[in-house]
Amino acid sequence: MLRLTDIGKTYGLRPVLKGVNARVEKGEIFVLFGHNGAGKTTLLKIAAGIMPPTKGKVEFPGNQDDRSRIFYLGHRNSLYGELTVLENIRFFLDIRNGKERTTNLRETLTDFGLWQRRNDPVKALSQGMKRRLALMKGLISGAGLFILDEPFSGLDIRWKDTLIERFMEIRKNGGSLLIATHLVHEGCRIADRIGLLENGAMAFLEERERAAEAIIQERLKNEICR
Amino acid sequence: MKSGKIIRGIILLLAILLPASFYLIFQVAPSEKIMGDVQRIFYLHISLAMSAYLGFGLLFVSSILFLVKKTLYWDTLAFSAGEVGLLFSTLVLITGSLWARPVWNVWWTWDPRLVTMLILWFIYIGYFMLRKAIPERMKRARYSAIIGILGFLDVPVVRLATKWWRSIHPRLAREGGGLDPLMVKVMLFSLVTFLIFTSLLIYIRFRVAWAEERINEIFNDVEDYNG
Amino acid sequence: MRFAGNTLAIVRKDILLEFRGKEALSIMIFLSLLLLVIFNLAVDIQSENVASLASGILWVVFAFSGILGMGKTSLSERDDGAYLNILFSTVSMESFYIAKVISNLIFLLLMEVFTILSFVILFNYERLIRTFPALAIPLLLGSLGFSIVGTLFSFLSTGSRFGEIILPFLFLPLVVPVLIGGVSATDIILNGSPGESPAKWLKVLVVFDLLYLFISLILFRHIVEE
Repeated sequence: MLRLTDIGKTYGLRPVLKGVNARVEKGEIFVLFGHNGAGKTTLLKIAAGIMPPTKGKVEFPGNQDDRSRIFYLGHRNSLYGELTVLENIRFFLDIRNGKERTTNLRETLTDFGLWQRRNDPVKALSQGMKRRLALMKGLISGAGLFILDEPFSGLDIRWKDTLIERFMEIRKNGGSLLIATHLVHEGCRIADRIGLLENGAMAFLEERERAAEAIIQERLKNEICR
Repeated sequence: MKSGKIIRGIILLLAILLPASFYLIFQVAPSEKIMGDVQRIFYLHISLAMSAYLGFGLLFVSSILFLVKKTLYWDTLAFSAGEVGLLFSTLVLITGSLWARPVWNVWWTWDPRLVTMLILWFIYIGYFMLRKAIPERMKRARYSAIIGILGFLDVPVVRLATKWWRSIHPRLAREGGGLDPLMVKVMLFSLVTFLIFTSLLIYIRFRVAWAEERINEIFNDVEDYNG
Repeated sequence: MRFAGNTLAIVRKDILLEFRGKEALSIMIFLSLLLLVIFNLAVDIQSENVASLASGILWVVFAFSGILGMGKTSLSERDDGAYLNILFSTVSMESFYIAKVISNLIFLLLMEVFTILSFVILFNYERLIRTFPALAIPLLLGSLGFSIVGTLFSFLSTGSRFGEIILPFLFLPLVVPVLIGGVSATDIILNGSPGESPAKWLKVLVVFDLLYLFISLILFRHIVEE
């Protein structure tokens, strides 16, 4: 579904990523761990195609210019503050999949505690609500690949659980997720595959051989998710 | 190094050509009937203008090539040519003003050619202002390439608009009767000399800028290695 | 179809945003009013000289107010990373650009109509109203030129430091042909002798619009990529 090969990135004089490899298969959740400044955000931006890598290759199936099958959510929520919740969603769906509207909009909005506020301008919502809206937009987008940067930030336990449920549903339906987080507990609950970014390199993945990957995954799980 | 030898050759050649063209302009070329000796500035003025256009034209072409190839080589060439172009266009505006004063009794005339050069001068000042305002190297290159392309395409449109706008601009005497053949020869000589001179300046500026770029790159690699 | 639908969706969203926030329009309208007052104080517009000054003053006001307002509309996409919605959608860069040109054109035209009305009231110059049908053509063509270049540059300037300061330096020299064409055409319509036609100036505007629309469509994608 998504394949990153030997990704390198330098900001000015500072190398941020030094030859990172990763892949996310169909119906799989890849969780990317790492400290602040480890290069998670950079790697996700490169994977989403909004930042060119200094070296290396990003591949996903189909036309590489058509990114309408990808949903990317960075640290910012990508919402129009002056528009209401429904207007934001409507515009988002308008330019995305046109006719294939999802009918369960009301249900999803209710699940994320936004139905009551559907006609309020987004700028009047709390930080947590904005984050929830930004995430739920993605969940109804019909995307096949989700690239999410710290999706749990600003959410309390109740919404985290709702979100995780939705992630599992997407996975069951064959969607792929690439999630960067520093929350070990939540990450380990959902991960099929784990990556740990340290100093711009994928720790434990230095051995390039594919055969070793299962062992590496085990080591990672034992190491991080004990 | 072979290219070093060629450059030294060109510098030597210019050491002869430049004084020669000044000698031709001030000693050999005949004095103009109406304007007198002041008209001699015309040889310099036209040569400088063509040199400025050479710089801006090269900036334009390199900007396109940068957007196609996305390598900093072309961006470096673009701004090197732009710097030289800006220098020469400033000189064009100054010599134009020096010429206008005795001939038309004004410091400035809104002749279409001069206005076009002035507008271009502003556009490329904007080009370098924008470069200064963008710290990210690749983005700076991309954005300034866009200005480099749009700015140069403005030349024919500005020219057309200013021509119609001031249709009664002062005509030069030479345009009626044609130039003295000796004048034409001196003009061509000085034009060719200046174009070679401009190319050399752009090339040297490019060499320096490209070396800086490469040093930065090596610096990166060393940092990379030290981790 | 996709192209038209997406373009329309973005234009509708921009108008809705502007209707809610009133940022660009209020800046443009107040600045144009202020400039008219300043012009009057500087050159003392009377019934004897108003006819010869009108076209020049109007177009200078259009250019300055216009570029400030256009700087604002691209900010709405930068805020909160909202343009990511468009990047990850079926919207092509061309349709994104066209949509922004149309929205900006609409705001410019509204500002211009307001400016002309203010001019009529402040300087008691009713000829502007009587000749309005003829004035509409250079107004439309000139504003389109402003919008084509201004839209491109506003995205360019929001991506750099001190963008708002640099924007007029980039914009004003480039639109010199539009200014000359617009002023001259307007002047001929207001003061021309019966046989005189503004056709050749309209031609300058058309040439400028077509040339820059074509080039900007090619160049726009280079601005938006990160």
